[in-house]
Amino acid sequence: MKIILDGKEVTAEAGRTILEVARQNGVDIPTLCHVPALEPAAMCRLCTVELIENRRARMVTACNYPLRGDAEVRTDTPFLRQGRKLIIELLYSRCPDSTVLKELAARYGAELGRFPEDNKDCVMCGLCARVCERVGGNVLALCGRGVEIRVDTSFGRTARHCIGCGACARICPVNKIQIGDEGAERTVIIYGKEASRIPLRPCTSCGKPFGPVIDLSLIMERAGETKVPAFNLSVCPACSRRNHARRLAERHFEQYEIEPRETGEDD
Amino acid sequence: MNTATSAAAVLSGVKRFVGGQELEQHRQALIDRTDPNAPRILVCCGTGCKAVGSLDLLETMQNSVAASGAAIKVMPEVKRTGCHGFCSRGPLLTLQPEGLFYQRVKPEDAEEIVKQTVIGGELVKRLLYKPQGAKESIAKVGDIPFFAKQTKLVLKRVGRIDPFDINDSLVHGAYKALNKVLNEMSPDQVIEEIKNSKLRGRGGAGFPTGLKWESCSRQPGRHYVICNGDEGDPGAFMDASVMEGDPHAVLEGMAIAAYAMGSDRGFLYVRMEYPLAVQTLTRAIRQAEELGLIGDNILGTGFKFKVSVSTGAGAFVCGESSALMSSLEGKVGRPRPKYIRSTEKGFRDSPSNLNNVETYANVPEIILRGGAWYTGYGTERSAGTKVFSLTGNVHNVGLVEVPMGTSLREIVYGIGGGIPNKKELKAVQTGGPSGGCIPIPKKFLDINVGFGKLAEIGSMMGSGGMIVMDENICMVEVSRYFINFLVEESCGQCTPCREGLTRMKDILTRLTLGEGREGDVELLEEIGKFTNSFSLCGLGTSAANPVLSTIKYFREEYDAHIRDKKCPAGVCKPLYYYEIDPEKCTGCGLCRAKCPAKAVAGEKKKPHTIDQELCIKCMECYKNCKFDSIKIM
Repeated sequence: MKIILDGKEVTAEAGRTILEVARQNGVDIPTLCHVPALEPAAMCRLCTVELIENRRARMVTACNYPLRGDAEVRTDTPFLRQGRKLIIELLYSRCPDSTVLKELAARYGAELGRFPEDNKDCVMCGLCARVCERVGGNVLALCGRGVEIRVDTSFGRTARHCIGCGACARICPVNKIQIGDEGAERTVIIYGKEASRIPLRPCTSCGKPFGPVIDLSLIMERAGETKVPAFNLSVCPACSRRNHARRLAERHFEQYEIEPRETGEDD
Repeated sequence: MNTATSAAAVLSGVKRFVGGQELEQHRQALIDRTDPNAPRILVCCGTGCKAVGSLDLLETMQNSVAASGAAIKVMPEVKRTGCHGFCSRGPLLTLQPEGLFYQRVKPEDAEEIVKQTVIGGELVKRLLYKPQGAKESIAKVGDIPFFAKQTKLVLKRVGRIDPFDINDSLVHGAYKALNKVLNEMSPDQVIEEIKNSKLRGRGGAGFPTGLKWESCSRQPGRHYVICNGDEGDPGAFMDASVMEGDPHAVLEGMAIAAYAMGSDRGFLYVRMEYPLAVQTLTRAIRQAEELGLIGDNILGTGFKFKVSVSTGAGAFVCGESSALMSSLEGKVGRPRPKYIRSTEKGFRDSPSNLNNVETYANVPEIILRGGAWYTGYGTERSAGTKVFSLTGNVHNVGLVEVPMGTSLREIVYGIGGGIPNKKELKAVQTGGPSGGCIPIPKKFLDINVGFGKLAEIGSMMGSGGMIVMDENICMVEVSRYFINFLVEESCGQCTPCREGLTRMKDILTRLTLGEGREGDVELLEEIGKFTNSFSLCGLGTSAANPVLSTIKYFREEYDAHIRDKKCPAGVCKPLYYYEIDPEKCTGCGLCRAKCPAKAVAGEKKKPHTIDQELCIKCMECYKNCKFDSIKIM
């Protein structure tokens, strides 16, 4: 299948998205709401390109448009640059302290501050909700509609079925989701509001709370696995390292019949 | 007393039709029992008339007829019908077979109508329709221009039958086409006939229906037939009237579509705000199922088609096909970010055919009379008729069906009866919030309404909303209204629609408050242009049309708001004031009497004045002045 990408002819596999083909060929298309591991949502519209198929030109989003036959794609026309600039400016007013948007703004010559700031601490890319559905406990979702759309939990209540994986915080392009471990509890904070609160499991060795209670069946179901993965979740990473070291040492002492010296203290 | 009971007698012998012949025999039996010349009183119980009390009228009418039973020679049947169309004159009442038309009938008029007209054969003059400026009232439906100038194909039975009684529909030819299709035609022949008719989707986009059916039928897998009854455009009520007035036409159209595409399952997605439509459709499905016209083994042919009604949850965006299907699946009604036609992968990822209510309602008649007959109506590219809901500043507000290609002049002046209060026609807004404002009388009064023509001038046909605007409508306020509507109804997924519309709303609100700035119009145009090309779904890609079309045709009004801080139409309150022209004022005192704020002062027979501090700009003085002496400044 032949694609004319910004004037150059390239070959592409049928069914690949425009974004995939462009990236394979070193053509950069900006994205904000896309990560290759998740199904595209085409929400930010930054990756909009011009597609000419059967002599008909139209605007499509590169992240989710599957190429099915010969076509021409333009990724960098003056019109597209202007549109991207406007989208960046509009999003910037929602989230003015974002580094990603500032970088994008510099690239596309966006005039920051063209629209009054309406700090919503979110660019509404939907990544957290999508990753939560795929990886986490399906706690976060896009709620409300129109201007009132927001990331929230069911009925805005603090969720208890969160698995505390932290994928939402990690994926957020504007770093607006915080994971906090305090005492024996982990909380996920979005827009300054507690989205979930779950207990942390105490280490069977030292007794300190260290990680979320993970329902392995959920992970296995999603991964399509039937065998329980071989890792021990009952001991905290510090104890795990120490125990391992002790076992090594004990083996060593046994081998050379060395009598370990009593220290009285565990550490 | 009425055919519902006499038909019940006929029905009692019929359980389910196991063949087409049985259906026709039953129909003939019903027709034989119905005397076309028997007196009938049709009470309009469409949503409009219901709102002004037609259900009470229906009841008192039934009681009055029953009470004077002895005096009446032939007992008239008092029938509840769907929308008659002339909604601004409701509650409406038609007396058959003479075709007498009474308007604005109150329950207390029932007795008089029975005594004077039914028994005495005399007209109740005060209830007759009198056109604006005419001296004589018109007694017969057929002589009223509003009705006489229409061509009713889709609305043929609406307002004439009782939508709750399937037998009444059968008398008027319902399910004849389905019978023909099942016994005489192959699915391909059905599709061919629809293609020949050049029927295009009535939901707004105007995609050729035959082609859609064909591409859907070629897909493998289970097929679904879905009807879009989520009519949400402000001021539009065409689909509601069809669903409420003739539910079997929609069901029959869907069943024919299902047969053509090899489907066995259909859904009617109706907005929750149409309780009457949901009620009539649910009842119609049950009655049709009882008779074997819908459901398993239809008319004994083995063809199976189950239909159910699904209600929306109040979201405008669910009229968009992919959002509708998400909503139907029980998910949030947001458009899907997928570049795949729903005829390939739609509802439950299966090939799904989605058509508008009016599109399906057109199908039975096309099957019966042939595609070529249908192309006899309308224009080369837009065949058939279109139902419009004519609203706004026009005398005859109501439901209007005309052949495609009818001029706006004919619709607004011929059928609509022109503009009230001697005002000038300023614009016609078509296509709902995604449509545009067509300036009139500048140049477009003689434009022929059809799919292509309206798009050419920056508007669209949409589903058929038509709002007439006079000189006292401010175009900036109109676009603010529509953008505000869309801001609330946007699903919020994609940036241009969510953020772009919000910014446009902010700017437009600023303009209407007199806080507009130089460059605002250019900014609106910029945002509008990109919202229209970067958005995800049909809502976003047409959302800026009201703004872009009003800027294109009424730029001077925007400029007046920004530069002169004036609202020429006298709508945006901070931007105008009323003043009395001392030359014209006769000092009659009417405005002084009407003013709720006591802002008008003046001695009798001397020019009055308005105290601007007290004036609340309610327009009472302006509307009431008989000498045209109050000016908007």
